[in-house]
Amino acid sequence: MKCYVPGSNVKVLGRTVHALARFGDELYLESLPECMLLRTLNAAESAYAMVKFNKNFFSYFNYNYYSTEDNEGLKCKISMKSALNTFKSPTHMDKQVENLEIKLDPEACKLIFQLKCKHGIVKTHYVSILDCKAMQAVYTKDSVPNRITSSQRLLSEALTNFQSSDDQVTLEASTQSFILRNYTECSADSLKVIRTQINLKPLEFTSYTIGTETTITFTLKEFRALLSFAEALSLPIQLHFETTGRPAVFIVHNGSTFEAHFVLATSKADNATQATATQNTTIDRKRKESSFQDSARKKVHIDNDISKCLDEDSHLFNFIDIPDEIPPPSALFNGDGAINGVNEETNNVNSSKINNDIDSDHIPASPTAKAMIKSVFRRCFESTFDPRAIRGVILAEDSDSE
Amino acid sequence: MKFRAVMIDAGPMREFTNIVTTISKLSKECVLRIASDQLYFIVSDENSGPAPPILWCEIPHSIFFSEYQMVGLDEQHKDIYLGFNSGNLARSLITLKSAKTLKMKLTKKQGPCLTLDIEVPSACSQQTRQVTHDIPIVVIPRKMWSDFQEPRTPQPDVSIELPTLKQLRTTIDRMKTMAAEVVIRASAEGRLTLQIKTDMAKVSTRFKDLRVETYGGPIDHSDSESETQINEDMSKVCHCRVDAKKLSMFLSADSISHNRTVCSIIHKKLVILCLQTEENVKLQCFITGIVY
Repeated sequence: MKCYVPGSNVKVLGRTVHALARFGDELYLESLPECMLLRTLNAAESAYAMVKFNKNFFSYFNYNYYSTEDNEGLKCKISMKSALNTFKSPTHMDKQVENLEIKLDPEACKLIFQLKCKHGIVKTHYVSILDCKAMQAVYTKDSVPNRITSSQRLLSEALTNFQSSDDQVTLEASTQSFILRNYTECSADSLKVIRTQINLKPLEFTSYTIGTETTITFTLKEFRALLSFAEALSLPIQLHFETTGRPAVFIVHNGSTFEAHFVLATSKADNATQATATQNTTIDRKRKESSFQDSARKKVHIDNDISKCLDEDSHLFNFIDIPDEIPPPSALFNGDGAINGVNEETNNVNSSKINNDIDSDHIPASPTAKAMIKSVFRRCFESTFDPRAIRGVILAEDSDSE
Repeated sequence: MKFRAVMIDAGPMREFTNIVTTISKLSKECVLRIASDQLYFIVSDENSGPAPPILWCEIPHSIFFSEYQMVGLDEQHKDIYLGFNSGNLARSLITLKSAKTLKMKLTKKQGPCLTLDIEVPSACSQQTRQVTHDIPIVVIPRKMWSDFQEPRTPQPDVSIELPTLKQLRTTIDRMKTMAAEVVIRASAEGRLTLQIKTDMAKVSTRFKDLRVETYGGPIDHSDSESETQINEDMSKVCHCRVDAKKLSMFLSADSISHNRTVCSIIHKKLVILCLQTEENVKLQCFITGIVY
């Protein structure tokens, strides 16, 4: 693959890399006949970003420059840190860089970024390729009932009202109003934390279509990252979302040269999820040990409601070599029983509600991470010697009264 | 117990935000006393238990709020005392600078809360949007109300008007990096001195021609701790040694646009800094002197 990026577009590429860096730690690059794709996935697998640069973004674009036998383009994974190093200061790049050449040397397994700057300076970055896989995510974008277009300023201003310590935000959209609320998981915390709510009127948005009233919850960190991306490029944002549990897609594009999709997993914000979360953390624990760090906050994971019905590890985000066909938009998972899973989940919700017979208003909160760790690794926290374990004759009494 | 107040003018909103921000810098926990005529913000010393407050702020509601209704605890106890985290309130009021109206009321949502309803005009369109903050509070029981009364202090020895707080703040900020304690000397002749002593240097900043408010009579300097300056009448000079950090925290109140600040010193015992604004807000800070 070989392509040239003209000076004015290098800044856009730099801003893209910076925004993607706030999502995940690895950058997947794929070149196709008509475009180049940059993708990343965050560690908790709850946020995915994909930016597509069309052929007209580049002054020269050849997707399989080096491979003459087949029509395969380039597919590689590089570390996000290396990519950030190349695009250190996008604002300065605007003035200094005249041209950027990206090429893959298949023999050396390195991705080469060559920046030709003013005054004859040439900076070449050799970035090692970590892997040759591609990444593909499946999500619905167009057949969603709810679509909102808004200027990024509106949402940025609304977000200034939230505390910087706020983790997740709940979005409640109806035909009359659009409400943003901050969301706290544990009920203990909610007594000490400020609760903020912002009501926006539908008229403030550039376009506002709500087919079904929905409430979705997603993380603020990635949302802020994509908002600052849109702000840097002064572009509006489109929100496409459907029901709780299905991912919400945020689209930033400038019509012709590039299109960015940011997919955030959503979860329910009401009491039903509190009951089901207990079962979910069990499944997640079996799957990955490393999720303990994440389970401190409820994993905003699409699989939450459905995973316990599936036997195998089924992910929204699949690591595959070549996407052969595009699956039908309604199926979101490779595993079976995705649709059945939804029904089973509601049945389980009902049964768990019946089990909470003491007080229907009081649904016990899901155990926090510390509680889970302590219940599993209980023996590690106990002292190794328990005096109660001695039964029978005391052979030597304590010499000290204490 | 009910409380409801509405603020619609930009000036009071700005002042209110500045006052709360200053309080949040001074301490994390704060007590709000709602009385029928005034609002009081009270901050006690965090380290000790029921100690006399170190900050006492009175805000008359008539100038700040266009509407003010409150119903106290019961007939004998007509006030409401609430404890809350001052940082929470300060952060919620950040958007107040461009807001149209602010409505504060006591509500009960998952626990007692102070709800702030702020109407903010949107920059993008003509619409206004509504922001609601629920700040969790703790209602302070009646038996602890006596801890939060206005401190009664004896007549100060010298009361002197301070120079601009900004000047003082920059001076004290530099001084506190060098020494932990600063000695404030005030003379009835209109001179104020801030002095620190380190192993290697003695630094003093002197302000003169300040207005003296009161002078409580000649001061006894029988213990020879004080240094004498030439041509200075020692009976008119009093000084007090205070913690530089506490002084610097109070001086961060320079963001409040104020009329005058008066410093009253009780010789070697107490420094009272009183800031009064045009809207009749009185912010008092009590710093106890350090005695060896």
